[in-house]
Amino acid sequence: MKVGVPRALLYHRYGKFWEKFLTGLGAEVVVSRRTDKVLLQKGLGHVSSEVCLPIKIMAGHLEELAGQVDVLFLPRLLWLEDKLYACPKMIGIVDIARMMIGDRVRIVAPKIQGSLWLPHFGAGMELCHDPVRVVRALSEAGRFLPAHDHIPDFPAEEKRVALIGHFYNLGDDFISRPMVDTFTSHGYRICTKDELPEGVLRSRQGFARKIRWVYERELYNAFRFLVDKVSGVCMIVSMGCGPDSLVAEFMREEAQQRDVPFLQLVIDEHTGTAGIVTRIEAFLELAERRQARAFKIPDSRLKTGGQGIAA
Amino acid sequence: MRASFPNVGYDTYALKTFLEDLGAEVILAPPNSRRTIELGSLHSPELICMPYKITLGNMLEALELGADTLFMAAGARKCRFGYYHYLQERALKNLGKECRFIPVTQYSPLDFFFKVMPGIFGVSPLRVARATSKMLAKSRLTQEFRQHLNRKMAVDFAGAEQAKPKALAVIERAHTLREIQAARGEVRRILAPAAPVGQCNLNGTEPQVRLGLVGEIYFMIEQFASQEIEKELGKMGAEVVFERSLYRHIRHLLSSDPAFARSGRLARRYLQESPGGEAIRTVGEAVYFQRQGLDGVVHIFPFTCMPENIALEALQNLSEETGLPVLSLSFDEHTSRTGLLTRLEAFVDLVKRRKLGRRLHRN
Repeated sequence: MKVGVPRALLYHRYGKFWEKFLTGLGAEVVVSRRTDKVLLQKGLGHVSSEVCLPIKIMAGHLEELAGQVDVLFLPRLLWLEDKLYACPKMIGIVDIARMMIGDRVRIVAPKIQGSLWLPHFGAGMELCHDPVRVVRALSEAGRFLPAHDHIPDFPAEEKRVALIGHFYNLGDDFISRPMVDTFTSHGYRICTKDELPEGVLRSRQGFARKIRWVYERELYNAFRFLVDKVSGVCMIVSMGCGPDSLVAEFMREEAQQRDVPFLQLVIDEHTGTAGIVTRIEAFLELAERRQARAFKIPDSRLKTGGQGIAA
Repeated sequence: MRASFPNVGYDTYALKTFLEDLGAEVILAPPNSRRTIELGSLHSPELICMPYKITLGNMLEALELGADTLFMAAGARKCRFGYYHYLQERALKNLGKECRFIPVTQYSPLDFFFKVMPGIFGVSPLRVARATSKMLAKSRLTQEFRQHLNRKMAVDFAGAEQAKPKALAVIERAHTLREIQAARGEVRRILAPAAPVGQCNLNGTEPQVRLGLVGEIYFMIEQFASQEIEKELGKMGAEVVFERSLYRHIRHLLSSDPAFARSGRLARRYLQESPGGEAIRTVGEAVYFQRQGLDGVVHIFPFTCMPENIALEALQNLSEETGLPVLSLSFDEHTSRTGLLTRLEAFVDLVKRRKLGRRLHRN
């Protein structure tokens, strides 16, 4: 049996886990190829033009897999720890998939509510009917769940920048390659939320207590943790991302308060590499100047209009 | 206390009655205008959805008129709406506006009756309950008003325009429960879709086509946001039928809206899990309208609205499966009126021709 896993959205976090799990069940796992222009174009025709880029990419992957596999493995994440929800589009993507390709492929969509194990067990039973084997496959795959328990080092002499963005954007080379390349070619180390331990990401201090979206809280906590350890914060937001549009505003304010340069890059399928590179270079120049203190920007220029900094 | 709150279309009257019953002096924000939305957008994050901008504009304008306490609905689980008040409170603070900002959580009615409202106004829960029942009665009145008005507009637009201010005056005047009860009959009489005496009405009293309106709740309530889509459709001879209103929303929050379960049931074929916000209801109502034999569905929502975008996919699917014409329109402050009207006209034309063709076919 061929089981397809789209290389998009949650795959960028749980991909290894799923591959091991499905292989353990005796299925032949087909992961869609890496995102490229063609795949994206495929997706664009199937979803509304207003959804965010990762969803469009997901649609492309789904369409790609639909002809190749017997079963599509597409877990639906409702909420994880603390009853924090995933974003509406991520919850809805399974329904979109059903409407798109449901008549061609069987979709196995375990519903994740809090714990990963029970829904995956159910999905495993649907695929292989042998509880012992499912449990064994799960326990073996469990080792491949993403886990970081130590805080990375931040040596003083190193140039660092924080890249704040959802894992499905940063994990997708098609989206994040130009940014990552530009930063590294200027000698910067990129700090993302994926290298931080869970304890940091799940903190409930400050505004994080009020955030009800699971990945948004991670972003915010990563930002809080990294902001005074880096020379600049770059946030990647996909056009139309609802939660980001709110939380980014809080981050921007905090960054301004701490006098850390903050760059918000909004991306969609029309975003060109050149524009991104230019903006990042300008941003890095600003960050370097600020660090060298050779050139101090008057405060008045930072506080634009009425939207400036809360005292 | 000089209280104010963002405008919610005709239901502004209902909320005004509610706050006045609890003993507040109500300063209504000026009717929504170009200025409201410009003021709001100026102090809003770039990518946020449109209701945020309009409500912030309302608040700023209300503060200019001397309001000192602002009420704002809060709490919407997966939808951005629940976070508006954090940002708005902050935006007002950054602008140096002095006011008391009171977010009212939607999803805990018990708290609302026993803790929040008594805490703010120093009144008994019983009085809150009484005020709420009056608010409900009044919002039902405005809902009926809209239904009658839509029907009349579709057959007799000029007459409807004349009758509207009269009916609104009646609604505004009704204060006690008994008056509200009496106003219901009066509003219906004023807006009866009969042709004026001595005038020949070619259309008769039946609208040519009936369209269902579904979408995001703020857009369903506040006509300004959707550029008065009901009126425009009425002008084109289409009666707009809607299920969602503030009345139904409050009933739903009090867990007493029978249509809510129905929506969930009907939407299940398309959405198995609620993506938050109102997507389930949007889809459920569209299916309901289709089964009721309405001629088409218009779907309105703010640009980048997350749940409604999922609903949009479902509606496209519904349209493909059943042949129901569906027009999805997203709005932001840059939406051009001309473009909107062109799309509406084309859609209404399509629906009319389709209906006509079917009738001919049947004969």
